[in-house]
Amino acid sequence: MIAKVYKESDIATFFNKLLEEYNIIAPKKKKQLYEFNEVNDFGEVALDYSTTILPPKKYLIPQKETLLRFTKNEIVSEEPQFKKKQVIFGIHACDLNAFLLLDKVFMDKFPCPRYVKRRRNLITIALTCNNPSETCFCESMGTGPTPSKGYDLLLTKINEEYLIESGSETGEKLVKLAKGKEASPKDFEGKKKVVELTKQKFKRRIDVRNLPDLIQKNLNHELWRLLGEVDLACGQCVLSCPTCYCFDVRDELNLSLDGGTRYKEWDACFLLEFAEVALGGNFRRDRAARVRQFMGHNLGWGGASQYNVFNGELKCVGCGRCIKTCPVGIDITEVAAVIKGEKNVSQVTALKNILANIGEKNARSI
Amino acid sequence: MQDPYELSECTIKKIKPETKDTNTYTLAFLNNSSISEDEFKPGRFILLSIFGFGEAAFSLSSLIQNGAFETTIRKVGNFTQKLHSCKKGDKLYMRGPYGEGWPLDEAKGKDVLLIAGGIGLAPLKPVIMHIAKNRSKYGKLEILYGARAPSDMIFTSEFENWRKIPNSILSLTVDAVPKGVKWSYKVGVVPILFDDMETTPDDAIVMTCGPEIMMRFVVKGLTAKGFSEDQIYVSLERRMKCGIAQCGHCQIGKKYVCKDGPVFAYSEIKGLPDLTI
Repeated sequence: MIAKVYKESDIATFFNKLLEEYNIIAPKKKKQLYEFNEVNDFGEVALDYSTTILPPKKYLIPQKETLLRFTKNEIVSEEPQFKKKQVIFGIHACDLNAFLLLDKVFMDKFPCPRYVKRRRNLITIALTCNNPSETCFCESMGTGPTPSKGYDLLLTKINEEYLIESGSETGEKLVKLAKGKEASPKDFEGKKKVVELTKQKFKRRIDVRNLPDLIQKNLNHELWRLLGEVDLACGQCVLSCPTCYCFDVRDELNLSLDGGTRYKEWDACFLLEFAEVALGGNFRRDRAARVRQFMGHNLGWGGASQYNVFNGELKCVGCGRCIKTCPVGIDITEVAAVIKGEKNVSQVTALKNILANIGEKNARSI
Repeated sequence: MQDPYELSECTIKKIKPETKDTNTYTLAFLNNSSISEDEFKPGRFILLSIFGFGEAAFSLSSLIQNGAFETTIRKVGNFTQKLHSCKKGDKLYMRGPYGEGWPLDEAKGKDVLLIAGGIGLAPLKPVIMHIAKNRSKYGKLEILYGARAPSDMIFTSEFENWRKIPNSILSLTVDAVPKGVKWSYKVGVVPILFDDMETTPDDAIVMTCGPEIMMRFVVKGLTAKGFSEDQIYVSLERRMKCGIAQCGHCQIGKKYVCKDGPVFAYSEIKGLPDLTI
């Protein structure tokens, strides 16, 4: 590992050198919020961001992508083409850990050539988070505020300087692009302090111990039924989740009907049609079952459990986007707390809201 | 790197009507080299493609023979409607086979009890063929088959052949017999056949496929008779978009029907969410 310390002004120099060779995606300010987007000048980059509105998963799994094109005589498999390598600059630990989870799903057992190509084309420059938002809880999920693996480079802002650590050969080459002095033990001490300070800022937490077992044992918990009453099944939590990877595969015909494309696009287990089978059957017709599926997949039955590669790690990385985006205030950390027995259902925000509006008696009999 | 969505071309060699809405299609690859018997293990499934209509999963209803295999398909939706308009010689595309099949190795030396409902007999037919072909390796073969009405029974032309398999029994039942139809077997739902069943829990393996509600009563009836939950294997149905445990549609708790199943020991899936068995 190479570790250097850059002055703040050297980061801009470093960034501009990267721009000469790579396409850069970085957090940008969008009104009062942040989003990942292509950046052409360091001035646009908001390294003091908290969480972005949407996760960067679209750079690995586009919302819609073509698998193949077909005509009457021919099928052509489609793959993304890149002129330049892509850098994701300033990605937080939660989103980086989400990438590592997606890697296990799409690269381990049946590698998807499109995903592999995008992933191999992507350089990750991570950033230790020092500005968690109200809804963040990566610390208790063990996925932040600083990543321990999976980055090419890791930046940590310490006072007016940045500690730059390489995590791969690519990172080692990149770190030499700007001037900087060799990092000293004092700098690593500084990083430790930044991380400790950030940890104190978290307002939400999940106690993950035994959680998968407890979810499995509480499949009939009244919480699911009650959340099912409140939930709108809009699917925003799924679309804003950095690790939700479920998709649909569909065909689209040309207007002339002589050919078309087969594409895959994001899908959400919160939507009614998701678990539909033949003859109108549906294994998750009730919203309660769909809330349970989303929470269960995130906190119970694991990330890439389909290939036993997750060794019990949970799918949730604690980015808090699902909490932030939920129109009725369903909070995954509260769900965990109820399942753990730390809270009772009447303390759950989404239920409190409805109880306050129409009264407990009516709410229970919806 | 092989694209998991790559398709193989096959042609319809034969279409055999089974009931008014169900046909058995004999399909053969245009490229014979990609066929192996092991891949076509009974209980596995394929994804068939018709461009513009997408893909759908179907179980194999025969062993592979002379480079061809069968799949038995009921007309229930857009895709199957389109498929039923296909003719002999038409080209189809497929991926697979995928998934885990029936526990034929584990069943060696044991009695085999097959319990099917409706089109659920389709994925069990290759088991019957396999046992007939390797008769000495298995004990008694008992088949219990039920359908809504006599006209909904599939593979009726095979019944006589199956009865000729040494040490085998075929028992039939229907939910109801319409007026004027001759029926000399039982009437009632599948578990009614348990009354006269010869297979006992000692040293037997049960394989069952049918509507989930039927399998629920099958499991209940069998466990009451002393069969253990790991002796009973069920084949589940879920819609699948990938077949390789990525799209999430067939997820049931930790299990993926496409990769871990479609065949599961009941003990393996008992207690999972969103199951009605």
